[in-house]
Amino acid sequence: MNEGIWGCIQRILSRGENPFIDNHAENRLRPPGAVEEKQFMALCIRCNRCLEVCPYGAIKRSGFSPTMGTPYVLPELKACYLCMACSRLCPTGALDSHVQTPEKAGMGKARIDKSMCYSHLFLDHDVLPEGSGNKIAALCNTCFNVCPLQDKAITLRDNLFPEVLDGCVGCGICVERCPTRPRRAINIVPTGMGRVDEAGFFFRKARRHYESASEKETSGKVFKGDLLLEKKSRIHGPKEQPEFEFPYKTPKTIEGWD
Amino acid sequence: MYRRYRRAVQIALFAAMFLIPILNLYEIYQVTGTFYAINIGGLGVADPVVIFQAVFAAARLTVPLISAALFPVFLALIFGRIWCGWMCPYHLLADCAAWVRARVLRKNSAAPRSVGSFGANVSRFAFLVMGTVAAGAIGIPVLNYFSAPGILSTEAMIFVKERSASVELVFIALLLGLELSVLPRFWCRMFCPTGAFLSLFRAPFTLRVKNDVRNPKSQCCQENHCSLACPMKLHPYRECGDLLCTNCGLCVDACRSGRLKYTGYGSL
Repeated sequence: MNEGIWGCIQRILSRGENPFIDNHAENRLRPPGAVEEKQFMALCIRCNRCLEVCPYGAIKRSGFSPTMGTPYVLPELKACYLCMACSRLCPTGALDSHVQTPEKAGMGKARIDKSMCYSHLFLDHDVLPEGSGNKIAALCNTCFNVCPLQDKAITLRDNLFPEVLDGCVGCGICVERCPTRPRRAINIVPTGMGRVDEAGFFFRKARRHYESASEKETSGKVFKGDLLLEKKSRIHGPKEQPEFEFPYKTPKTIEGWD
Repeated sequence: MYRRYRRAVQIALFAAMFLIPILNLYEIYQVTGTFYAINIGGLGVADPVVIFQAVFAAARLTVPLISAALFPVFLALIFGRIWCGWMCPYHLLADCAAWVRARVLRKNSAAPRSVGSFGANVSRFAFLVMGTVAAGAIGIPVLNYFSAPGILSTEAMIFVKERSASVELVFIALLLGLELSVLPRFWCRMFCPTGAFLSLFRAPFTLRVKNDVRNPKSQCCQENHCSLACPMKLHPYRECGDLLCTNCGLCVDACRSGRLKYTGYGSL
């Protein structure tokens, strides 16, 4: 309240609070418990009670578009922390009130972009692929550490790099905390968003991601896959102990002592 | 005397629009929601026209949907369109706009009767039907984009919670600008879908204004105070039971001879 109307306008115009933010958001999810997108658009009466009750301020109103006024979670700004307060309150059933546990939130499924994730980069290359020659010394695993459904939704394969499991509900906390910029290495593919154009930038690009992921990599110069994994695992557990020289002789006696 | 009570109730509900989200910020959750849908101590209440559209758009009827619309319909059956005349935040703004138009801009707000009460009724019911058909056709409750009280209340909540505003405020500004410049009271009279839907619920016992003379079609007095007072631009001495009437009670106050009276269950 203390910043006045000018501050209000500045906030709207400057950082991420413009009325068109959700049209360009890379990750755009419906709140937990949302029914399939077409049903959702029919049932949602834009009363914004979900937005009002959200204790984290994660739910945003859609801006000037056909979906105007409907709720979205934009996890790059603020992720859903799965308190499940909103689905209980929805007066029309656009958010299914039977969805009460975080495991059933069903907002989407996270997907790791292996060309950007620090842990995967560490696995695939020793130096950063951008050509700067900087070595990668980051085993970040932030997404694993922040996940509220650890070991059900995400796991660390071979204690080295994160892998999303079927238990992922797409809350987006990993997206919020992912350190890569400007794009995040982990993104949420929303479920139930029937039409591709309704589902945010990442979903539109998802098909291309799937295609590139399924291609076999052909360059034979670097180690790939399990062979490389085995090599890198040795960093943690050396199998042969090197000979260690200790060039110092302990004196038999100490001066001044009898 | 109704005039003062009515203004107090209007201002109280306008303040409640801001107060409810403020209370929710302090974790007092007895009342939550906006004027689209509100929850008062466990009683879920929603704008019936919004529910009506959601039923059309989703093509399914569920118990929570029906029960949310029951309370406003019940209120309308007993007290008539008391929501519009006494509670709606947009109606208060329209009152202010009419006041500004009459006192500040010095335009004669009583004289231009471009659209009569019949035309206004036809216009708003056509808008309601068209909106509902469109909602059923494209599967989106389109009339929600044009629900002035809901938009105002939502904007108030967003302002309290996020100190921001959204583009719907432009719509309200547009309406108020038109009311100030071209057509006074045009939204409430000719378009508002919520008001049109609420005026459909009418029974013999519903609260309404009645003219207590033998021949109500004839003019009772020469000054015509009631027609000047009516915000809906009716002639209350002969059109007192019209669907446009919001039971605001201004004509009852204005009538010098005491011929206009409330009748019905709600009249105490």
